[in-house]
Amino acid sequence: MTVSVPQPATRQYRRLTPAVRLGTRSSFLLLLTTLFGIAAFAWPLLIHQSSGPNSAHNGDAPWIFVGLVPLLLAIVMAELSEGAIDAKAVALLGILAACFAALRVPSPGINGFEPEWFLLILAARVFGRGFGFVLGATAFFASALITGGVGPWLPFQMLAAAWVGFGAGCLPPMRGFPERLMLAGYGVVSALVYGLLTNFWFWPFVGGSTTTYSFVPGLGTIENLHRFILFDLTTSMGFDLTRAVTCAVLVLVLGRPVLAALRRASRRAVFEPTIEFVDQAGDETVLSGQARENAGAGRQRNEPSHPAAGPRSSPREP
Amino acid sequence: MNRAAAPRHRSLHPVAWWLWASGLAICAMRTNNPFLLALIGAVACFVVSVCRSSAPWSRSIAFFLRIGVIVIVIRVVIEILFGQRGVPGHVLFTLPHVPLPSWAEAVSIGGGVTSESILNAFVAGLQIAVILLCFGAANSLASPYRLLRSLPAVLYETGVAVTVALAFTPELVLSIGVVRQARRQRGIPIRGVRGLRGVAVPVLESALDRSLQLATSMDARGYGRRISVGPGSRRLASGATTAGLLLVAVGLYGVIDSGSLFGLGLPIMAVAAVLCGTGLALGGRRSARSRYRPDPWRRPEWVVAGSGVAALAALSVAHGLNVAGLTVSFSPLAFPNIPLLPIVGILVAVVPALVAPRPMSPAAGQGVGDPAAVEPGTPVDGGRPASSEPDLSGARA
Amino acid sequence: MIRFDEVSFTYTDAARPTLHRVTLEIPEGELCVVVGETGTGKSTLLRAINGLVPHFSGGVLAGTVTVDGRTTKDNRPRDLADVVGFVGQNPLASFVTETVEDELAYTMENLGVPADAMRRRVEDAVDLLGLQDLRDRSLRALSGGQQQRVAIGAVLTASPRLLVLDEPTSALDPAAAEEVLGTLARLVHDLGLTVVMAEHRLERVVPFADRIVLVPGAGAPLVDGSPEVIMRTSSVAPPLVELGRLVAWDPLPLSVRDARRVATPLRERLAPMTPPVRRAVSTVTTVVARTRKLSVSYGRVVALDGVDLSFRPGEVLVLMGRNGSGKSTLLTMLSGARRPTRGTVRVDERDPRSFRPAELIRRVGLVPQDPGLLLYGESVEAECRTSDKVSALEGGSTARTLERILPGLPGDRHPRDLSEGQRLALALAIVLAPAPALLLLDEPTRGLDYPSKDRLVEVLRELAEDGHAVVLATHDVELAARVGDRAVVLADGQIIADGPARQVVCHSLVFAPQVAKVLAPEEWLTIDEVRHALNGAVPV
Repeated sequence: MTVSVPQPATRQYRRLTPAVRLGTRSSFLLLLTTLFGIAAFAWPLLIHQSSGPNSAHNGDAPWIFVGLVPLLLAIVMAELSEGAIDAKAVALLGILAACFAALRVPSPGINGFEPEWFLLILAARVFGRGFGFVLGATAFFASALITGGVGPWLPFQMLAAAWVGFGAGCLPPMRGFPERLMLAGYGVVSALVYGLLTNFWFWPFVGGSTTTYSFVPGLGTIENLHRFILFDLTTSMGFDLTRAVTCAVLVLVLGRPVLAALRRASRRAVFEPTIEFVDQAGDETVLSGQARENAGAGRQRNEPSHPAAGPRSSPREP
Repeated sequence: MNRAAAPRHRSLHPVAWWLWASGLAICAMRTNNPFLLALIGAVACFVVSVCRSSAPWSRSIAFFLRIGVIVIVIRVVIEILFGQRGVPGHVLFTLPHVPLPSWAEAVSIGGGVTSESILNAFVAGLQIAVILLCFGAANSLASPYRLLRSLPAVLYETGVAVTVALAFTPELVLSIGVVRQARRQRGIPIRGVRGLRGVAVPVLESALDRSLQLATSMDARGYGRRISVGPGSRRLASGATTAGLLLVAVGLYGVIDSGSLFGLGLPIMAVAAVLCGTGLALGGRRSARSRYRPDPWRRPEWVVAGSGVAALAALSVAHGLNVAGLTVSFSPLAFPNIPLLPIVGILVAVVPALVAPRPMSPAAGQGVGDPAAVEPGTPVDGGRPASSEPDLSGARA
Repeated sequence: MIRFDEVSFTYTDAARPTLHRVTLEIPEGELCVVVGETGTGKSTLLRAINGLVPHFSGGVLAGTVTVDGRTTKDNRPRDLADVVGFVGQNPLASFVTETVEDELAYTMENLGVPADAMRRRVEDAVDLLGLQDLRDRSLRALSGGQQQRVAIGAVLTASPRLLVLDEPTSALDPAAAEEVLGTLARLVHDLGLTVVMAEHRLERVVPFADRIVLVPGAGAPLVDGSPEVIMRTSSVAPPLVELGRLVAWDPLPLSVRDARRVATPLRERLAPMTPPVRRAVSTVTTVVARTRKLSVSYGRVVALDGVDLSFRPGEVLVLMGRNGSGKSTLLTMLSGARRPTRGTVRVDERDPRSFRPAELIRRVGLVPQDPGLLLYGESVEAECRTSDKVSALEGGSTARTLERILPGLPGDRHPRDLSEGQRLALALAIVLAPAPALLLLDEPTRGLDYPSKDRLVEVLRELAEDGHAVVLATHDVELAARVGDRAVVLADGQIIADGPARQVVCHSLVFAPQVAKVLAPEEWLTIDEVRHALNGAVPV
């Protein structure tokens, strides 16, 4: 993520510190969860024809994933939050999840008008991919609790939204209108992909087993995919398109002020602040940035260490 | 009105409710006998109607009922429109054939619709609807706040974020109303694109300011203090988690390709889950936190959770004994058997209606977590979203 | 207890240090008040005590801050949570949990206090702060005073040796503020706690203070000492102290009681004189707005109950009453945001709800309690331009109004980065630019320091002289005494007093300003009135 686009060298374009750092271990776990998650969504395509008494297990497969996905999410969230989520990030996470829920309350995902997506994408864009991942999952969890909608679909929604947030945090640096255009494009793509993924999960349940586009175990990946796409087009394309268009329009209309507000918040929160303790103020001269750069003896630099590398500047216990 | 002096009604441990509901839900997964399914649904609804509090979340079962009905309808409609033809049965009516483009030729629309296929689709939909209803019952009975407090220690940060979100959302909905009103005071239209922007930006800005103030308070109040755990314990935790994840991979393969691994996919998955859980539990030790008045787990909790497990056990025993009528088919059309053992088992799950302590009056939940109860246009006395005026809180209560 | 040793602090990216070579020692068991104008670094000073500065904010700290033998260099704020209890400005924003009892326990949970000790300390805090009836309530459903007490209780349960409070009473009505300050004083006297707090409204806190730290700002050194000493020369002082300085009382009285004891000669001197008559606008027959039997209820709660009022041009009406008495609702009704439950509201002989927004702003201007709600532009200039456009004014009108209210506000500043006073000025300019006949202000003095308040008083007087009808809902009795022509007191949605400000305010126990309390039964309201009277009567 060190690609830099030539930009006027103003403060505006300074890359902001991500709110949640991703260490090696958490990145690895994230990758693993993603792989398992893909399996959890796409199992109807992967599952093999089986015969004999074990075929009953095919009916259980979706429910195994209902149990597995929360476990995976718990592991990733625990790993991500270990030392990496400080008070500022948690407070921000909570408040943004509340904004997300407030946007979601009028239409809990039924009619496709889901303005909350744009907030997730913009927030993830500003606060980084780690935060985006956590925000996606947390926001869905919170809004499900608020609307009393904790159902078997929740872990899957959380995982899919976490990916959407993660993806938005990975987009290349860019500013101004091109950035908003890129985000709007990402909004369309991610909204459609999200719809596709959640449909994948729903398909074996709703599609039945006797219709011409229902999931048939062992029919082969390609054939099942074909059937699934037909299912998706006929049943939920309308919702998904509404979601995508809502998201893109909101990004274009509200993107500039909302991005500015989020970036201001990020600057003001000062994630991973540079903290210096100087034994004595040397002289009357003001400690300018230059002076700080040339910090000499008698100074201790307390920059927080990388979370994966160990605990932050360890305080002495009394 | 001294609440402290009065004996405190307590609400049942949320995990007990979730265990009970999960037991019923798994029962519903393991049978497609419409009568058993209907009984499970009736039991869940009955217990909810007896045991729920007047808190806002207790209404969520209605939402799940609606979703359930929608699922049944979709399932039946899809069957009618796209169902496989040529299966023998009693033809109810015949739809005209609709020619489709070649890329969609696998789908056939129209043809004779049999009552068998409709009945099968209805029962399949009913099964999902009843499973959803069990989840809805848990949602209605277990307080989300208490559920969050039961989150494992290792997920503490996530729990705090969600708690903050739950507490802040109603306030946010109020502040939208306040900002709209302020907008009008500036003579700026509150509709249309500019109106949207004018409302969204100040609400977001003040919410973000709030997050910084909250973070200050949390930092000053000891959030994130940790005890240093020894490297051994740390290694043990991550070792257990990693081993668990690897086993998950193996188990997944076993489940997906049920021909391999001698059908051991499920047991492997169970071991993996236990390992992961152990890793998480060990990881939770790094936090120095203690819990204030954790929800007690007493006899009613055991009984409620046990009744759900008992229902499941009865059904499993029936499965083992190959009792007729657990898995039924309507082609050919036939009246399903009604097995006795599962019925008795499911009826045990009514016990919570008798033993669960009555929930206390939801003073703790006054208007909380219920944005719907907040009329967005309510003029906030004072104009500050975080209004301190009691008449506002009265309006919310 | 607290020792600042040659402490200087510079925020990251700041050009100049906010704290400069501060050396300060606060011994145990004192109630210490930090005073100073906005932007002088009071908050930074308070936050340096528990290490929020620099651990939370970032920046360079020179020197050492030691609290109870622990330095902030080696201890982050969270590590000091069992020594220092920090309560921020807005208690609601500091709450993490949902109910009072959970909130009281939250800090202890973080510290890992054992369960039985936690239970005991929560009960102690409940008793100490009088929260018995509130323990199961939702934090959001409490009044401001209750919230502030819970916020104090929530840090108290960690049994800190020291409480740090940033403007704990700024959002409270006089009675609730007294309650909170009384609680703090009791904690100091009974438990030997050390309390450090910043406060703008000195009239409230000076009687309780053991020590005052004056932050003069602009790099000048701190001054600290006993209230008697500091108040002799302080640039910020409550009216009581100014009265004492005016008539050269010695020792300087710091409480109304002390002042009354020595005020008999002054009262006798003033007895033959009559206070100046404020403009008698009741003779003006034109009416800008009026309410008839206005009643408003939210659900079962009655906010206004049969209110009859008329608002005349050139009159400053102060609206007083405790929190929740219906002040804000009345302002909301005048601005036409809601349909009355019963009765009528008329602005310009029309129902204010019938105006289109563009028409409304020429008739009624409302400055809400949080002026930031009106602002959403990216800079001060952008706000002014938007305002001109919306009000169809010629370009630069709002900027000129702003220049009159508060000269020299940088135009490129983001509204969220302005101080409370600056933000209020900007909101006021936006509301005033289309020259509404009726101007409504809801609690404008929250977070304002004395100079900003002086400026506000001048502006309001000028507006009244220009023929605006000004309605000011406020808890600030000193402000009301200085600016009000007419005072209306609301209780439970009903008008319980309506008349010339002098009579209404002087005859109230709660709403009387300090000068009136000292000089009762003579009806003098402000220090300026007394000064003019004395100068006229006693030619030096």
